[in-house]
Amino acid sequence: MKKSGLVGFIVFIFLLSACSQGQSQQSNPNDLSWDEIKQQADGTTVNIHMWGGDEGINQYMDEWVAPRLKEQYNITLERVPMDTQNILQKLQSEKQAGKKDGTIDIVWVNGENFKNAKENGLLYGPFRDQLPNFNDYYDQDSLAFQYDFGTPTEGYEAPWGKVQFVFQYDSNKISNPPKSFDELQSWINENPGKFTYPNPDDFSGNAFLRQLLYATVDDPKEIIEEPFSNEYATKKAEPMWEYLRTIKPDLWRNGEHYPASLTELDRLYSQGDVWMTMGYNEARAEHLIEQGVFPESTRSFVMEPGSLGNTHFLAIPFNSSNKSGAMAAINFLLSPDAQYKKLEPTYWGDNTPISVDKLPEEQQKKFESLDRGETVLSTERLENSFLPEADSGYVEWIKENWKDEIIRNQ
Amino acid sequence: MRLSETNKAWLLLLPAFLFLLLPLYGLLSALWSSLTVNGAFSLSVYQQLMERDAFWGSLFYSLRIAIIATLLSLGFGLVFTRTFTHYLNKTSGKLAAWIPMLFPHFVWGYLVLLLFQQSGFISYMAFQIGIIESREAFPILTNDKNGFGMIITYMGKEIPFVILMLLPIYAQQNSQYHDLVRTLGGNRWHRFKDAEWPWVYPVLLETGVILFSFIFSAYEIPYLLGATFPEMISILTYDWFYAGDWSERPLAFAAMIFTSVIIGIIAWIGFSLMNRKRWLLTKGSR
Repeated sequence: MKKSGLVGFIVFIFLLSACSQGQSQQSNPNDLSWDEIKQQADGTTVNIHMWGGDEGINQYMDEWVAPRLKEQYNITLERVPMDTQNILQKLQSEKQAGKKDGTIDIVWVNGENFKNAKENGLLYGPFRDQLPNFNDYYDQDSLAFQYDFGTPTEGYEAPWGKVQFVFQYDSNKISNPPKSFDELQSWINENPGKFTYPNPDDFSGNAFLRQLLYATVDDPKEIIEEPFSNEYATKKAEPMWEYLRTIKPDLWRNGEHYPASLTELDRLYSQGDVWMTMGYNEARAEHLIEQGVFPESTRSFVMEPGSLGNTHFLAIPFNSSNKSGAMAAINFLLSPDAQYKKLEPTYWGDNTPISVDKLPEEQQKKFESLDRGETVLSTERLENSFLPEADSGYVEWIKENWKDEIIRNQ
Repeated sequence: MRLSETNKAWLLLLPAFLFLLLPLYGLLSALWSSLTVNGAFSLSVYQQLMERDAFWGSLFYSLRIAIIATLLSLGFGLVFTRTFTHYLNKTSGKLAAWIPMLFPHFVWGYLVLLLFQQSGFISYMAFQIGIIESREAFPILTNDKNGFGMIITYMGKEIPFVILMLLPIYAQQNSQYHDLVRTLGGNRWHRFKDAEWPWVYPVLLETGVILFSFIFSAYEIPYLLGATFPEMISILTYDWFYAGDWSERPLAFAAMIFTSVIIGIIAWIGFSLMNRKRWLLTKGSR
């Protein structure tokens, strides 16, 4: 009996290791024409792993995209909600374990996550330039697609959307929102306890500081165009730390505690504890009002010298077992129809990276006449204030230094 | 073939070992990752870790919070069980005491947040009744530096657990011991010390080790209710682990190995104390 237990144990171990075997049968889509890729994708299932924290986005994928993808390409789309960091972690573990037949076909990435994934060889590619919709409707030379937070994309990801960083305020409580960071400073001084920003470990809190960094140097170009180095950042960031130290005593809770996430800041805003919130999506207030989280009187604003914007992308993991299906699905997500629906406030309200002037006239009109909602600033206002992201090195650098400069030893 | 007693014991442990394979693998690979730099054995990660003030700060902070929360839970749990043994023996009493165990820690944490934060329910009531002049005057009890919010949350969740562990002892205790102590002229304290403590003590120790290990390294409650600074070790480790360029990952592994070792030491001390006690008990002397 003892022996059989041992045998069972060994069998169990073999079973465990057997899971990691198996070969991918598909040929590399790099050598195939688009028609062959479409053929290969026909009747398959594509697993997209993406951040699932926004109901609007989830509904867009499940209710609008999935049925049409089935209809047009005969592809079944399975959406798995997961934080991007965890997706990359999973891929990294699979790579270490030598697992060739992965379960993830598409990931939604940008910025430092993309940099990590690309540098650690977690992505398949280049594939972007094989997508007909990308070639037809997108500006091939746009710097916004060539670089992702300073990392060259080199065709390893395809642009899916773009967002801009905006602030939200309650128009019942504030009649004239600040127009610059200087005005914000005096506003905070006059209204102590009514403003705070998320901890820079949080994505949005970090973006707030990057935006402030742009505002406290003489010209944002100094940050955008210079390559990142610790010395340069230390030198340039001093006025930013100074600014933060100045406003600190007048922040919510005297600047001793900061919301750990944007959700927490939104909660404070919805309870009226603070009067402003912010976020990396110019249309976010629309569905937050609809869900009853934000007061109806919420409006958004941007400040001088501009509003941070970035493009977000779709990529394919190195071990996806359905690369052709993934490419077909991404091509569909980049199509004018899918982009238009994504732009509408109904589901998501996410801005499109598509070049509207490359579209057929009828669709151009459709895009141009779309009303994105009352809380969203005009396209013109957004475009005029657009500032691209600098090197993703700043994200990490700010995370590392903020606590030392602002919280500890103060 | 007849199995000897020892063999039987090993066989019975087999499922537990199978189950432990996964965490054990995780622990070993963390140890491995923290001890190798570019494929070669090196202690440099640990050296780096020792030099970080942030690490020591949050290690001692976590120790403090975990010890306070554990002792308070044990203390309140013990007093509660002793006082209400009679009611707790009824189903309704048990239900009332154990309801908090139905909720996950995260839910309980949110409840504490909604009750105790400055704009929460208690401050609202205090303001309405007129105890405080404005809601800002309400003391900061969540996300605070002293960890009040975290400790309260853990107490709410762990006291029922302590009751669960202690109740069988009190339900079955032999009242003759009490009578004996009383006959010999012992007061209340003597009755507790001689007629209850010897049975309660090992269970308290065991429960204490479980609670300490959990509170010391748990992530969700510190994330929800902890202050920006000082931070619990789990938060620091998580930030290191997910730092953008993954360069601080070895540090995260090393810090977790460090906490595992501390938990290991405390568990070892606890169990050796307990075994001695048990051994003395079976010998009939204390």
